[in-house]
Amino acid sequence: MTAISTATKKPFKRTAVPRVERIASVVVLVLLAGVAAAVWQVGRHYDPGRYALRIDALKSTATAVEGKASTLQAESADHSGPGGALAAGPRPAEDEETMGHEANAAPAATKSPAAEPMEPAVAGVSPMSPTESYNPDNLYEKIDGRAPAYLGFNCLGLRCRSFAVAAAPDSYIDVFEFAHDTPVNAFGMFALERDPDGKALGFVTDGYASGVGFYFRQGTHYVQVIASDEKPQTLALARALAEERARALPAADESLGARRRLPAAGLVADSVAYVKENAQGQAFLKDVFQATYEFEGKKVSFFVMVAKPGEATAAWASYRTFCERFGKVTVLPPVAGAQLFQAETFGSWKTIYQKDGEMGGTFDADDPGKARGFVENYLGGQLK
Amino acid sequence: MTDGPTGGIAGISRREFMARAGATAALIGGSVAGGISLWQRKHFVPGFQEERGLQLPSFALAQDKALPSMAIAHGTDHDSTIRAAIGALGGMGRFIQKGDVVMIKPNVAFDRPPALTATTHPDALRAVARLVREAGASKILVADNPINSPAGCFLKSGLRDVANELNLDLLYPEAGRFSPLELDGEILRHWTFFHEPFKRATKVIGVAPCKDHNLCHASMTMKNWYGLLGGRRNQFHQHIHSIVSDFALMMKPTLVVLDGMNVLMKNGPTGGRLSDVKRVGTVVAGTDMVAVDSYGYSNLMGRDLAELTYIHKAHDRGLGNKNWKDANFKETHA
Amino acid sequence: MKIRNARRISQGFFFTLFLFFAVVSDLRYMKGYPISLFLELDPLVAVATAITTHSVYKGLLWSLVLLVPTLLLGRIFCNWICPYGTLHQITGWLFGKGRAEERERIEANRYRSIYQVKYLILIGMIAAAFFGSLQIGLLDPICLFHRSMTTAILPGLNLAFPSTFYVRQYFHVGAWVIGFLLLALVAMNIVIPRFFCRVLCPLGAFLGATSKFSLWRIDRDPHKCIDCDLCLKNCEGASDPHTQLRKSECFVCFNCIEDCPTDAISFKLLPDLQREISAPAVPARRAVVGGLLGAAFFGFGRASGASDRNYEKKVIRPPGSVEEKEFLERCIKCDQCIRVCPTNVLQPSFLEAGLEGIWTPILNMKLGYCELNCTLCGQACPTGAIQRITIEEKTGVGAAAEQGPVRLGTAFYDHGRCLPWSMETPCVVCEEVCPTSPKAIYSREVTITRRDGKPITLRRPYVDPSLCIGCGICEHECPVTDEAAIRVTAIGETRSRDRRLLMDGGNTGAVRDLSRRER
Repeated sequence: MTAISTATKKPFKRTAVPRVERIASVVVLVLLAGVAAAVWQVGRHYDPGRYALRIDALKSTATAVEGKASTLQAESADHSGPGGALAAGPRPAEDEETMGHEANAAPAATKSPAAEPMEPAVAGVSPMSPTESYNPDNLYEKIDGRAPAYLGFNCLGLRCRSFAVAAAPDSYIDVFEFAHDTPVNAFGMFALERDPDGKALGFVTDGYASGVGFYFRQGTHYVQVIASDEKPQTLALARALAEERARALPAADESLGARRRLPAAGLVADSVAYVKENAQGQAFLKDVFQATYEFEGKKVSFFVMVAKPGEATAAWASYRTFCERFGKVTVLPPVAGAQLFQAETFGSWKTIYQKDGEMGGTFDADDPGKARGFVENYLGGQLK
Repeated sequence: MTDGPTGGIAGISRREFMARAGATAALIGGSVAGGISLWQRKHFVPGFQEERGLQLPSFALAQDKALPSMAIAHGTDHDSTIRAAIGALGGMGRFIQKGDVVMIKPNVAFDRPPALTATTHPDALRAVARLVREAGASKILVADNPINSPAGCFLKSGLRDVANELNLDLLYPEAGRFSPLELDGEILRHWTFFHEPFKRATKVIGVAPCKDHNLCHASMTMKNWYGLLGGRRNQFHQHIHSIVSDFALMMKPTLVVLDGMNVLMKNGPTGGRLSDVKRVGTVVAGTDMVAVDSYGYSNLMGRDLAELTYIHKAHDRGLGNKNWKDANFKETHA
Repeated sequence: MKIRNARRISQGFFFTLFLFFAVVSDLRYMKGYPISLFLELDPLVAVATAITTHSVYKGLLWSLVLLVPTLLLGRIFCNWICPYGTLHQITGWLFGKGRAEERERIEANRYRSIYQVKYLILIGMIAAAFFGSLQIGLLDPICLFHRSMTTAILPGLNLAFPSTFYVRQYFHVGAWVIGFLLLALVAMNIVIPRFFCRVLCPLGAFLGATSKFSLWRIDRDPHKCIDCDLCLKNCEGASDPHTQLRKSECFVCFNCIEDCPTDAISFKLLPDLQREISAPAVPARRAVVGGLLGAAFFGFGRASGASDRNYEKKVIRPPGSVEEKEFLERCIKCDQCIRVCPTNVLQPSFLEAGLEGIWTPILNMKLGYCELNCTLCGQACPTGAIQRITIEEKTGVGAAAEQGPVRLGTAFYDHGRCLPWSMETPCVVCEEVCPTSPKAIYSREVTITRRDGKPITLRRPYVDPSLCIGCGICEHECPVTDEAAIRVTAIGETRSRDRRLLMDGGNTGAVRDLSRRER
């Protein structure tokens, strides 16, 4: 550096770089590489306990904590009667003091003397426990979160019992018998839970087998018979229990009138569903039965609703107004005294008819011809 | 990048080099040593650190079976009745020796006039303090940690005037006067304690009014020690009977005086109407708080001792005798 | 290679590393990365917390790695490492005087007396620290940059480009204040190059004061110097290399060496003291004013009682946080805990925790809840304001079973807003999500007559304060989302003896003692 004269102005860039500066620069770069490598190394290796609990730490939680019940039952033992059901408003303070003791007691309702024992005449099974019975107020104790759905179809109660299988000591069979107010509500709940891949049962109109369970509707009852495993003898006994229950329970099909109007020809097995309210998202479609059909090589969805003639006319008109607002509507010539329209909404076709106290039609069809053809054939009596 | 040294080291004198480089080296060494010595290597779980605290010594005297352990005096004024009660026990000289520093603990919880009996009556404090002074105490301390504002409580209860008049050391519950206490109590384990007076005191005398209490039925000589604790005392009410019986474990006083000249019969512990106060005209003094309070509850307040849970807890834990009739007691009239 | 190029590579490297840490501070990528490394290297953090707590927490010992070279070489941090300095250098070069005409640049880089402000700020902050109020984080560049990234930049970018940084969009209360503050500081480079570094930076001030003792420094050979002042052209620190070097201002950027036409400037070991101003130029009287302002900040800030009895119910601190006054001694407001929080529950406070607690983390259950099996905030915290507790210690299982769980607060029902309590509607989502076992939320079944005359059986929820840990998931999941029907407040937190709710049960210390006695 001393070689350059102080008098001369150097060109803009410095060119002379002392050796010690070059070395220092290299040292810096090596240090940076070292930092990068160290960060990478530290990043790769870490204690998994940093992010998750050690499993053996849970050993300390092996003993239960007493006196901390999660749900404290209502005080009155019987809710089933309308008189006993009401304890309006919050409980007085004195009662709350004593609540802890009740929580330890078994739920009172399961011991209800009203429970008529379930004693099926099937050889090879024996009861494992007393018959339990539940009412709408404590149904959730048995079926937890499913209870609201059952109550939505006016479930009046549940009787259930477990049976041991004599031939297979480890096996058992649970029978659940849900009582509903009407056959149509029992059917509705049955249809809601139906396994679409279930196999039809021969001994009842509405029933299927799925996995280790047999499910059917008989009269106002929806019955589930569920085996503990797939052993042939257990399944056979479960089926026998199901048949026995189907025989024992009274048959009743009133209010299932609309159901009968669904034609049998081309019906896809066990596709019948009952929709209590808001069928196809329409408030005016209530108590609707619908099913899927094989029709001229295509799948067609068809529904029927039975109502008073005025209501049916009004529903048909409402549906037409809805379709006019959201799609295109063509009024078709009447067939066999029924008025018809065809509409395209949201990319699918429907043909809706109304005659007297009945309305219905095809919906969600991709082929307008099939949608129309099915309804015309139905009204013309070609489909039975 | 550096110029080579041109004469000496770095072109400066050896002496300057040593001074400058030495200062830097000292700073480097200092920061490394400081950093390492202050290094907190391990974390802790806040709130779960080990707690330690002081343990109070006992201020009680050795039992003398020949002398009464409890005295009940009936009279018309504080001074003579208290003198009669202490006299029946054998006089203050039995408890206080010349040169003793005596802590007197009144109950000054509220800023109420004396007539409402929510606080220790000034005449009771005056009478006890005079007896202590006459016995030769070198210093008398008066301390309490009231519920209401401390300055107001001492002023309005009339106790500040007594302290001024008799030259007693009145200690307000200032923040620095508390220390953590450790106790093997049923509920009370670690708590902040009004420690300052006990750093100096050699004897402790509790002077308590006899009053009704909304939650624990009665506040007498045992409940009086509540005023020695600080912190979140409002949690005590979740286990009030256990806590009050723990006080009997925490404090072993030399003597307690229960002032039943007037008794707060209802709306306690605050009171507020003269109609809540009943004239009884009795003072109970003794060395066993449990016995004194048992007498107070059943005889001064006229209530059923069976309901006073903390007395039974204290008795069952061997902290005193609830059957006051078993004690060597003496009843007298002023 | 010229040393200046090595410096530029170093700056680029550390800037990238900083951004890398900011991005990987996420449960998905975090692994073992030392995401708070820059904060741990920051000697101001270590020294200030050492003043407040008389301890150096875990990784803060790394600050020696920076402190020692500063004592040897000067403020190399400022122009070689500091990512925030690099941000200002780049933005100043792009938008400020960086590319102006030569004369103007030389004038912009002369020392001005306003540059002593940073020392006054530092003195004020250190004075406050002696009283136990840690305020360096307000302006410490690493804290400030982390905080800006966490609360404003990353969430803002993620809004523009969804799913870049978060699985679910994060929100931060008061993000705009922090964001615009960053923009304003960056914009000030137009007025004064590296305005923040020269005028405000307390870390720069600390390193400047430290570099008084550095052995090496830039030195000008007066015999070679032709007084052209070209050395000022690119001077980052405005340290007057053209005359007596202001050692405490020099960023050791080596630009002057590069710009000197006569090679009069070199980096030299122990040059002549005559040619330097060793210590920061701060008149004693102003230094006293700075200290008094810091003391006043403590006094006035704490006088509200926000860290004492007048504490705000919303100041719910993260799990493992130390007691509030100690928290104010440790928290540097870097908001790294907020960055790593997997539920977005952690938020920078504004004035909830008092003036002193500004931008410290608090839980906002509307935005998130405290995940039970998670202690990431404590993992990220460089100063132990949130201690690095384990999940075992947080949840009170295993070795920590005896002491019980760490509680953040307690949940309380607002019956008027609760569906089963006052609207004849079943609900108890709160009970469902309550993560403790046994559940802290339990319910009582009641049958009432509905308005329409029909009976309905409802489960009405209650809180068991001896089990509630204050995690806030009940509040977060409550369907009454604008102001939940169950809300957590700070009472009952284990970190503070004065804020416990229960004499036993909630007071885990008492429970621990009781269980010990039973054995």
